[in-house]
Amino acid sequence: MEFTVEIIRVAAYMGAALSVGIASITCGTGVGYIAGIASRGMMHQPESRDSLFRTMFIGQAVTETGGIFSLVISLLLLFGGFDVVEGGWLRAAALLAAGLAMGLGSLGPVIGTSYAGGEACDSICRMPKYNLTITGNMLIGQALAQTSSIFALLVSLLLLYSTPLQASIPNITAGGILIRSFAYLGAGLAIGIGTIGPGIGIGNVAGKASRMMGRFPRQRTYIMRTMFLGAAVSQSTAIYALIISFLLIFAVK
Amino acid sequence: MDQLARAAALLGAGICMGIGALGPGVGEGFVAGKACEGISRAPEHASLITRTMLVGQAVSESTGIYSLVIALLLIFST
Repeated sequence: MEFTVEIIRVAAYMGAALSVGIASITCGTGVGYIAGIASRGMMHQPESRDSLFRTMFIGQAVTETGGIFSLVISLLLLFGGFDVVEGGWLRAAALLAAGLAMGLGSLGPVIGTSYAGGEACDSICRMPKYNLTITGNMLIGQALAQTSSIFALLVSLLLLYSTPLQASIPNITAGGILIRSFAYLGAGLAIGIGTIGPGIGIGNVAGKASRMMGRFPRQRTYIMRTMFLGAAVSQSTAIYALIISFLLIFAVK
Repeated sequence: MDQLARAAALLGAGICMGIGALGPGVGEGFVAGKACEGISRAPEHASLITRTMLVGQAVSESTGIYSLVIALLLIFST
């Protein structure tokens, strides 16, 4: 099949659509979930509506981060000027993989952060007095959960900017092109699917910690220590996926 | 034909590590969440709860390590 620049454009447009399309599934659900819990809380505790509104807003902003990362990758794919004919099949595969990595990669962290935000709003509704402690804990937990979507962003950017042009590799065979393109697709899928689990898991830890922070505010040092320890262990599988992605991008010849 | 097999192995390595990380991630998070609940109800048993949490997470991690091993084998020994 004759290679034209249109093939790279097809891959870039598909990647852009998949990236922002998949990410907005959980972004919409998650942000709505936090708003729902906060609204219910305001019904029970109308006098603490200001602190509930603030926590809801902060939680929604952190949850939206995953969607914003996907939007950035989408816009880069559309307008980043990657459609040069020298890129060849390798560039097409890398662009599609970058979109898939970021789209799938923001699914889990966004579910996790929205759970943490919802639990924090619920907890503030029970214990309005401790709203600052709970919001602080929620922010730390959400940041831990979003780490895995930052891994996906990193791999996406590497796929976009540090994969070689096909024309710049001397004496590349059809088999070599096939191997490298599949390695790029594999790297995107590894980090994309691999961050779903850790994202949901860490969000679960952060949510439970925020809930307990509201019930037993005196144990906050214990709760926060357990949250950090548990989140760090839960993150390890995302780090394995990151290692496999790096190997597939850089070590495959 | 050899190169087609190698390409499939590399794509397989990515999918293997990706799906393999799903379960352990959710599971370990679940353990840690329950540990947070337990430790706030019974802070006097903090060391026991932390120890149990770490042991449970280590066992839950094992399937993640299996997929890491398979992914590395698919990358380097095909």
